[in-house]
Amino acid sequence: MIAGVAIWIRRELSVALEARWFVANLFIFLGGGLLLSAFGAGDAIGGYRGFAKAFTGLVHLALLFVPLMALIPAAAVIAGDRENGALEYFLAQPVSAGQVYAGKLGGVAAAMLLSLTVGFGAAGAVAVLRGVPAGLVATLFGFVVLLALVFVALGLAVSAAAPSRARATTIGIVGWLVLVVFGTLGLIVAFIRFGVPESTLVIWTFVNPIEAFRLGVMCAIDPDLSLLGPIGAAVVAQLGTTGAALLAAASLMAWTLGATLMGWWLFRRTQA
Amino acid sequence: MILARSLSKAFGKHPVLADIDLTVQAGERLAILGLNGAGKTTLIRCFLGLIPFEGELEVAGVDVRSAGREARARLGYVPQRAPQFEGSLADVVAFFTTLRGASRDVAAARLEQFGLPLDEHGAKPLQALSGGMLQKVLLALALGDDVPLLLLDEPTANLDPRARREFLRVLSEVDRTTTVLLASHRLMDVEAVADRLVVLHDGHVMFDGSLPTLKRRIGAEATLWVRVTPAQRASADERLRSQFGADAVRANGTAVGIRGDAAVLGEVLHELRRAGISIEEFWTEAPSLHELLEGALGARSEAEA
Repeated sequence: MIAGVAIWIRRELSVALEARWFVANLFIFLGGGLLLSAFGAGDAIGGYRGFAKAFTGLVHLALLFVPLMALIPAAAVIAGDRENGALEYFLAQPVSAGQVYAGKLGGVAAAMLLSLTVGFGAAGAVAVLRGVPAGLVATLFGFVVLLALVFVALGLAVSAAAPSRARATTIGIVGWLVLVVFGTLGLIVAFIRFGVPESTLVIWTFVNPIEAFRLGVMCAIDPDLSLLGPIGAAVVAQLGTTGAALLAAASLMAWTLGATLMGWWLFRRTQA
Repeated sequence: MILARSLSKAFGKHPVLADIDLTVQAGERLAILGLNGAGKTTLIRCFLGLIPFEGELEVAGVDVRSAGREARARLGYVPQRAPQFEGSLADVVAFFTTLRGASRDVAAARLEQFGLPLDEHGAKPLQALSGGMLQKVLLALALGDDVPLLLLDEPTANLDPRARREFLRVLSEVDRTTTVLLASHRLMDVEAVADRLVVLHDGHVMFDGSLPTLKRRIGAEATLWVRVTPAQRASADERLRSQFGADAVRANGTAVGIRGDAAVLGEVLHELRRAGISIEEFWTEAPSLHELLEGALGARSEAEA
């Protein structure tokens, strides 16, 4: 079973390495990360404010690009194969549908992690050289990986159900927009305009993967979560900083697992 | 090689295959003939274990429902439309031979035999190959290390006439130890490959036998078209009608057509020459798929009555 999956991972990885999306990801993560680390951490030698600026820049780079850059190629994988007739041909080989699905998930995830490692790795190294604590960079990288895995799994789930690459990409982008709007703007509007209780907003913060990522990494740089306002204060009061970071990581892992299971179910369902 | 009992498949409330009983012996060359929507592709997808179905189905001695992957290891498949794989021909050959546990050297030898040596074409992106070349690549991959069963789902449907003839030539040279099942809606494919024919219509088997048997049973005969000079057309038409009967003769404005078996058709030319009518051109036309299907439907109705 593992050898069967490995064949597919190798193929997906080699296809991804020659794809435009991989090169684009690499340049965006590498270029953006290096710029932020080099210029943002300029004041870091003097103290906290400088590396906080660089770190926050890297967080926003991740928030802006990682979900989209993971979602779009993942959404195209199975739907694209289905559209051009490759999927049925793959499944007509002596393989199980599980091997194909797991291999495609693993291949896209591996390509994504490779581009993140190169991009954020180089940026992180520069940031460390400029004075940002290595532990902080490692925490950010860990959460970036978790966030990327969530959106790779979500993208593949969309791809499993969509009839075409274009439809899958559209659904993926709309889903990303919904999470961003309900994540950031929604929280603000809900709190200010509708007076939604803090406890509800805290739950939503952990349910939305983008918010969970933001909260998880902010725990590392801002233990009081004062940058997140009243919601941050409520989270710290209820869970503590470490508890909040662990819960945020668990939320991202649960999203990855849930999206993978959902995608697998949709994949099996569309085969019948 | 294939044993299907009461094989049925419905999509929602729409039945696509209804109680199909089919036995295919090892080494047979079987064609599944039917119009679009007859159920040919669905039947092949059942053989491949790609979709759930009702009834019993064994392929190459393996129960497809419980061991689909094992069944697929014993068969090769060529689809109607060649998928657009990423990568070069050499990459694709390496991937699929690894996946199937087949020898890459054997695949390379087959490709060379099919006029696609890897030395020359291996570096080409697969998407740069023509439709005919792609189908030959898929055939080479499907044959693997001499699989016992080859399933082909309208493999020539998207090929031009020349590529179709070339593909059928290559297919006809496949070793007789390999059982071949070809789904098609083209008589040309069936005649080139199959020695047994199953006619599928609306998910039912309407006929199971040889093509000559079907033609004999339903009286579907070839038509000989003869073009004569315009001045002699009326006398040729009259002569043939009186000789072979008005029902057998038809005209299309420039030529006269006579339906009949090989003996009758030979006699037509002789008769016209004897009457001093000079023949400008002649050609034969096989019975159409529609004629055969209508005949098969009629033969089944008569048998049931």
